[in-house]
Amino acid sequence: MVEKRDLMVIGGGPGGYHAALRAAQLGQQVTLIEQGEIGGACLNEGCIPSKILTHFASEFRKQGHLQKMGMVMGETSIDLARLKSYREEKIQGLRAGVEGLLRSGGVEVMKGAASFLSENRIGIENGHQFSLFEFKQAIVAIGGKMEYPSRISMKSPFVLTEREALTMTEIPEELIVSGHDYVAIEIAAAYAALGSAVTLLMEGRLPFDQAIEREMKRLLKKQKVSVTTEVTILSVSDDGGVEVDYESPTGTRQVNGTHLVVCGKSGADLTCAGLDRLQLECEEGKIKVDGEGRTSIPGVWAIGDVTPGPGLAIKAIKEGKVAAEAIAGKTGEMDLEWLPAIVHMDPPVACAGWTEEEAKDRGYDVVCSEYPFRANGFAALKEETDGMIKIVSEKGTSLILGIHMIGPGAVELISTGVLGLEMAARAEDFTFPLYPHPSSNEALMEALEELTGHAVHLQRRKKKAVR
Amino acid sequence: MEVKLHDIGEGMTEATINAFLVGVGEQVRADQPLVEVQTDKMTAEIPAPANGIIKGFSVKEGDTIRVGETVLIMGAGKESVAPKRTSSATAQSTRILASPYTRKLARDAGIPLEKVRGSGPAGRILDEDIQSHLLVEPLPKETPERTEADSIPFRGRRKQIASKMVRSVRTIPHCTHFEEIDVTELLAWKRDVTDVSMGAFFIKALSVCLKEFPIFNGRLDEEQECVHLQHAHHIGVAVDTEEGLIVPVIRHVEEKTLKGIQKELKALTNKALDHTLTAKEATGGTFTVSNVGPLGGSIGATPIINEPEVALVSFHKTKKRPMVNEADEIVIRSIMNVSMSFDHRVADGGTAVRFTNRLRDFIEKPGILLMEMI
Repeated sequence: MVEKRDLMVIGGGPGGYHAALRAAQLGQQVTLIEQGEIGGACLNEGCIPSKILTHFASEFRKQGHLQKMGMVMGETSIDLARLKSYREEKIQGLRAGVEGLLRSGGVEVMKGAASFLSENRIGIENGHQFSLFEFKQAIVAIGGKMEYPSRISMKSPFVLTEREALTMTEIPEELIVSGHDYVAIEIAAAYAALGSAVTLLMEGRLPFDQAIEREMKRLLKKQKVSVTTEVTILSVSDDGGVEVDYESPTGTRQVNGTHLVVCGKSGADLTCAGLDRLQLECEEGKIKVDGEGRTSIPGVWAIGDVTPGPGLAIKAIKEGKVAAEAIAGKTGEMDLEWLPAIVHMDPPVACAGWTEEEAKDRGYDVVCSEYPFRANGFAALKEETDGMIKIVSEKGTSLILGIHMIGPGAVELISTGVLGLEMAARAEDFTFPLYPHPSSNEALMEALEELTGHAVHLQRRKKKAVR
Repeated sequence: MEVKLHDIGEGMTEATINAFLVGVGEQVRADQPLVEVQTDKMTAEIPAPANGIIKGFSVKEGDTIRVGETVLIMGAGKESVAPKRTSSATAQSTRILASPYTRKLARDAGIPLEKVRGSGPAGRILDEDIQSHLLVEPLPKETPERTEADSIPFRGRRKQIASKMVRSVRTIPHCTHFEEIDVTELLAWKRDVTDVSMGAFFIKALSVCLKEFPIFNGRLDEEQECVHLQHAHHIGVAVDTEEGLIVPVIRHVEEKTLKGIQKELKALTNKALDHTLTAKEATGGTFTVSNVGPLGGSIGATPIINEPEVALVSFHKTKKRPMVNEADEIVIRSIMNVSMSFDHRVADGGTAVRFTNRLRDFIEKPGILLMEMI
């Protein structure tokens, strides 16, 4: 017997569950199919577990400061077993929260492996049970799969994936982290804070404005992380530890460690969920979609890591909402121009908009300012004076083109920057409003004032500190 | 620096030079209009890409040129030491300055933002620019989506009209007053005055009535708790087009002759039908008139006020009817029905009746209107 459904969402990760809830809010009858745990890789294996580790490391680093202020806590040590149960408890709590939302939102949740049988039929397999559904609309939100360099054997007990690295039972003595994006930096910084000697081998350059890259390298070095960029790993051998041969612009080198963490790249598995039967149009090895998530087959939509673009939950969430709204007859749009990039190291990095270089490449006549967090009173009282904010703006119009920061509260602070960029704000739009005092927000305001050399808390040199 | 004709509208390939708005040797500022061009859909102005001096023209008025051809040459002026607008020109092609809300308005209306010229500071696209664009650009042709029933697109101008109507009805307590007017004598008068239409006569008569009843040419300002009585009579004329209702505006009717009104009415109606109205010609009305008589078939309606105006008058079909005259005789007269909707917050029925009575007097005895002419 074929059951009929209006909208079926395949995959209960952040993209899928946001799509399901938004569609339900807009009056659609929604069925969500998940074969694993609700929350997908983000909640269960990726973002949330990794942020528990980075938060733990960041709080651990604060102990010296807390004791200096007068908190007496006794001898501090790390209990990774307790961290593990804390992590599981938090993940479970968050997952139960999402499941509750789906229930109260009227979304029908089905467990099982979904597989497209045709352009309007899906089969769901759950153990011995197989059910057949005919749908009007379907959203493919199956997520991505991590791909690792073929020349590195991932079978060695000393070679771990980035997800395995989050659940280590002991702090590794000498950790080598190989990666290409923020995940590698977070793992490197977190374990360095917890006591590992860390070598970070980045595939390309750090993906930030050069001023941020410079400051980030300085701070990682201060935290005893050895950073090499533009690295190609030549070979990895293991014998009670790992030995990594790599090539960088400075030549061929070797580094030894107790463990190697290899951070994968997010790809799409188009052979699962019966997608190969649909003959969907693809690009970059992923499902091609329009600005609202429509695929080449009417009634079939796709969102998240299975579609082109960065494999980020933030993108999947937005795409999920846009597709759900389009299905409900509203107009939406995916625009990743001002997608913020963040790194939960300590202090965190957060950037939105174009780097100075990108803005110049686009033909803008650019003026930039830099403002150090040491000039911010609130950062000073917390002894979190590392880091800086850089603003990229158009000369003459003072249109803001990029906001880049590394420093306390940067991840929260960047929201103001993203809003400003979306509103096509100029410097005055940022400097006119009132900012809470004392707070890190004032650093952002002064960084913008510094575009004209008017930041109050910067000592003036003889020459105006404006480039 | 060469200023070239760029694509200012959908599908545009060429345009005619209507007029130069600057002269050789003139110092101009960035964004200052340099030349007015006419495409098959609209008239538009090409702005200066930077501060500078006009060195010379490459074309002359009346020429038809293709997109990409040079219109005039500009040299660096005194003020051009300031930002290099050449870089901004590239930049603007990569970044559209509009807030997310404005972008949504455009999306909902089915307008690509690249086609909209921003009138805000530094070329920002404002909500008003989207609305103005809708008035001058016809609804994009769309392939109906594959659905079981036949469907026609409900977006673009139709959707804009819908939202304006709903807002008007939700905001303004509408009250409609009906009247019948004997146009027999006006028709006789019209036989002698062939170069003025009935429509032009009604518009002039309404303007005279508005002088006596300025409340209907007002604008309610609830925040300030007052009604602004406007001196200018900018009268919008509802025109029925294939894509929906368009209301071009005849400005300063109170200062114009019947012949002047007639000329402008004809020109604006043609422009509305050809989609060549500029935003200025289709906005800023203070009172609206709808003449559905020529369509035939309508004896009355409850017209929706063109918010934020206070009233609107509709003229319906003229029909010969038996009437009883003052001598109690049955005579055949040409009778036209009139509907007047007004904002009951601002005016009452009595005022509306007095207003239409005065209008009736002018129409029934066209000679009386002469007494009121400037």
